[in-house]
Amino acid sequence: MALRSHTFHENYGQDMAIFRTKLHWGILLVFLIFLLACPLFLSDRMLTLMTMIGIAIISVHGLNILTGYCGQISIGHVGFMAVGAYVSAILTAKLGWSFWTALPCAAMAAGIVGLIFGLPSLKIRGFYLIMATIAAHFIIIWFILQLQNLTGGADGLAVPKPKIGSIVLKSKISYFYLVMTFTCLATLVAKNIVRTRAGRAFVAIRDNDLAAEVMGISLWSYKLQAFFIGCVYAGVAGALLVHYYGFASVDQFPFMDSVWYLGMLIVGGSNITGPILGAVSLKLLDELVTIVGPVLSAAVAAQAAASLALITRGLVIILFLIFEPRGLDHRWGMIKAYYRLWPFSHEE
Amino acid sequence: MAKMRWVIVASVLIMLAISSLFPCSAGAAKKLFIGGSMALTGAYAEDVAAILAAFEDYVQYVNEAKRLAPWRNETFPSDITLEMLWRDDELKPAKAMSIYEELKSKGMLVFRVSGLPQAMALKDRLNEDSMGATCMAAGPILLKPPQTIFTYYPIYTDDLAAIADWFKEKWNETRKPRVAYLTADNALGKAIEAPEMGAYLKKAGYEFAGSQYVPLVPTSPPTTQLMWLKQNKVDLALGAMVNPGSQPTIKEAVRLGMGPQLEYRITFGMATPSHLPVFAPAMGELGNGFVVAGGFPPLDDTSTPGIKFCNDLQQKLRPDKRVTHIMYVGGMLEAMIQVEALRLALQEAPFEKLTRADVLKHGFYKIKSLDTGGLSSMPLTYGPGKIEGVDMVRVDQLQKGKIVKLGVWPCHHLYEH
Repeated sequence: MALRSHTFHENYGQDMAIFRTKLHWGILLVFLIFLLACPLFLSDRMLTLMTMIGIAIISVHGLNILTGYCGQISIGHVGFMAVGAYVSAILTAKLGWSFWTALPCAAMAAGIVGLIFGLPSLKIRGFYLIMATIAAHFIIIWFILQLQNLTGGADGLAVPKPKIGSIVLKSKISYFYLVMTFTCLATLVAKNIVRTRAGRAFVAIRDNDLAAEVMGISLWSYKLQAFFIGCVYAGVAGALLVHYYGFASVDQFPFMDSVWYLGMLIVGGSNITGPILGAVSLKLLDELVTIVGPVLSAAVAAQAAASLALITRGLVIILFLIFEPRGLDHRWGMIKAYYRLWPFSHEE
Repeated sequence: MAKMRWVIVASVLIMLAISSLFPCSAGAAKKLFIGGSMALTGAYAEDVAAILAAFEDYVQYVNEAKRLAPWRNETFPSDITLEMLWRDDELKPAKAMSIYEELKSKGMLVFRVSGLPQAMALKDRLNEDSMGATCMAAGPILLKPPQTIFTYYPIYTDDLAAIADWFKEKWNETRKPRVAYLTADNALGKAIEAPEMGAYLKKAGYEFAGSQYVPLVPTSPPTTQLMWLKQNKVDLALGAMVNPGSQPTIKEAVRLGMGPQLEYRITFGMATPSHLPVFAPAMGELGNGFVVAGGFPPLDDTSTPGIKFCNDLQQKLRPDKRVTHIMYVGGMLEAMIQVEALRLALQEAPFEKLTRADVLKHGFYKIKSLDTGGLSSMPLTYGPGKIEGVDMVRVDQLQKGKIVKLGVWPCHHLYEH
C-alpha cells in the first residue's frame, strides 16, 4: 500500500506489515463495516451480483498467482473450478459431509488435479501450455460426464446449502457474508503468498525462467507450486459457486469463462488489487450491457443486442491491451502516486 | 492534468453504470410485466430472437385488442397494460440469476428461463420466491420438485418415446428393431439417456445397441458415429440435437447411403429443438425421412388458427421484418401462458394485491385446457406436479421435401412411471 511521503518505519515488522499506518487500518475498518452493512441498503440483485463478483475474485486471484505472477498461462481455469465444485457437491450431497469439511477437500482435489495438468508446464510454455490447459478443461468435463453415478452426468447433482451449526446459509444475505469472508481471506492469503520466497520465485520465473534457474530457483518445484495454489483457489471458487446455485452441472463451467477470467486479469492488472478491479469492472460492464441490450434492441432490431456483451467485453480487453496493458491496477497506482505529494502535483 | 481528466471521466461513467443497477420504482399506471431471460448470445440466439419478437407482438396485440387470441372469448382487464421486460443472459447461469433479481425487483410476477443450465441454477430461487416461469427447454430436470418451471412441449424422452411408438407401429419384420442414441454431446443431448427411457424402449420391444455422440455444433461430419450405427445394424437412431447438429449429421448419413429409403435402411428421429420447419428449407429432399417429435406446426400451415394468428400479427406489426423462424410459435405459446397465468390470478386477487404466489397458485397451476389455436399438440393444462402442459406428442416427418404430420401419440410421462 502506498504511503504518504512523511511516513517512516523504524523496524522490519513495520516495514513488512500489510496495513502500515492508522489510516490503512481505518480504511480497512470502514471497508469491513461497509461490507457488513451492504445487505441493509443493497437490493437482492446487487447482493447476487456482489456474491458472483466475490466468487470471481477468488478464482481470478488463483489465476493471477499462476499466470500473473508465475507467467504460466492457463485457459483451463474453469475446469479446475469444476473439479472443486464436483468434489464438494459429491461429498456433501452423496456422502453427507459438512460443507466445512468438504470445502478443504474440494480445494485440495482441485490443487492435485492442477498439479497433474501442470506437469507439462515443465517441458512446454507459451502457446503450447495454453493448448495443454485447454485440453485440461475438456478432459475434466469429459470425466465428469462419464462418472454418471457419482456426478449425475449431464443431469447434474443437487447440492445442499452450507450450514453453520443448525443455521442453513440459504438466504442471499448469509451467502453474501460467506462469500465476502472467503474473498477477503483469499485476498489476504494471496497478498502474503506473493511476499514469500515462493512468490518472489514465481516473479523470477515469469520474468525469465532460464535466468531464474541459473540463480538456483527450482523451476520444477515452483511451477508446480503455482499450479497447485492457483487451482486450490479455483477449487474454492467452484465449491462456493455450486453451493450457491444449489446445483452442480457441467454447463455451469463453460470453457469461455476461462477466457473471461483471463480477461479480468488483463483489465485489472497482475497485482493483488488487479483481480479485484478486473472482476468488478468486467462484471459491472456486463450488467450495464445487459441493461442497454433491450434498449438497443427496441431502437434498432432484436439482433442488434445479440452478442452485445461478448463484443463489448472483447473490445474492452483489446483496448486495455493496447492502451493500458498493465491494467487498472497500474492506473490506480498512478492515482495514489499523484496524491502522495498532494497538494503538490505529481506528473510522470 | 490530462490524465486526471481521463480518470474523472472514467469515474463518472462508472458511477453512472453503478447507479443504473439500483431498482427503479414502477410507474403509477396499472402495468404488468411479462418476459424474462432471453439468450440472444450463444447457440440458441436465432431461436430466441424469434421468441423475443413473438413476445413483443403478443404484448402489443393484448394491449390493443384486450383479447387473448382471436378464437378466445375471454378478455384481458382493460385498465391493465402489459409490458415486456427482458435481458440477454448469454446462456450463463450466473447472469440469469442477476437478471432474475433485477426483473423481480422491477415487479415481475412471471419469469422466463432461457435454458436448462439456467433452470438448474434458478430452480430453488424461483421456488423460494413462488415465481412461476416458462422455459423453452424441456429437460427432465424440470420434472423434479420443486416444479415451478413450465414447458409447453413434451420433455425430450417423451418426444422420443412417441417416435419409438410410431416406428414400432410400422415395423413389419419378425426380429426386434435395433435402436441407438445418436445425440448431442452436452446436457441437452445426454438428457435422453435416462434409465426410464431405456426401460421404455425395452418394454416397447426394442433391442438397444448403444450411444453415439455428436458435438452440439459439429465442426466435421460425424462419419465415425454414423458408421458405428451401420456396423451395429441400427434401425432407429434417436437423439436430441439442435438444427446446426442434426442437419450436417443427416447430410453425412445420406452421403454414406443411410436413410429410410437408401441403401442402408435407418430412420433418424429427433426431439424438438431439432425444428423440422428449419430443417426442411435447408435440406430439401436430401432430408427425406427425418422425423421430429414435439414440434410446432409450420408457419405456412395457415389452416391452423394459431398459425394464421401469428402470420396476421406479423403482417400487421412487422410487415417488412417478418420472423420466419419456427420459434416465433414457441415464443407466442410462452407469451400466451404467461399472460393467461396473470389473467387467471387477477380473477382471484385485485391488481394492487397481486403477488407472485397468487400468479403461481391461481394462475399457472389453474391453467386448464388453454386453447392455443393448434400451436401446441393439444390445449395446455398445468397444475402442481404437471409442468409439461401437454399429454400428446406431435410427430412430423420430412417427405419429398415437405413436412408431413404423422399424427399425435400419447405422452408417456416416462419420469412418472
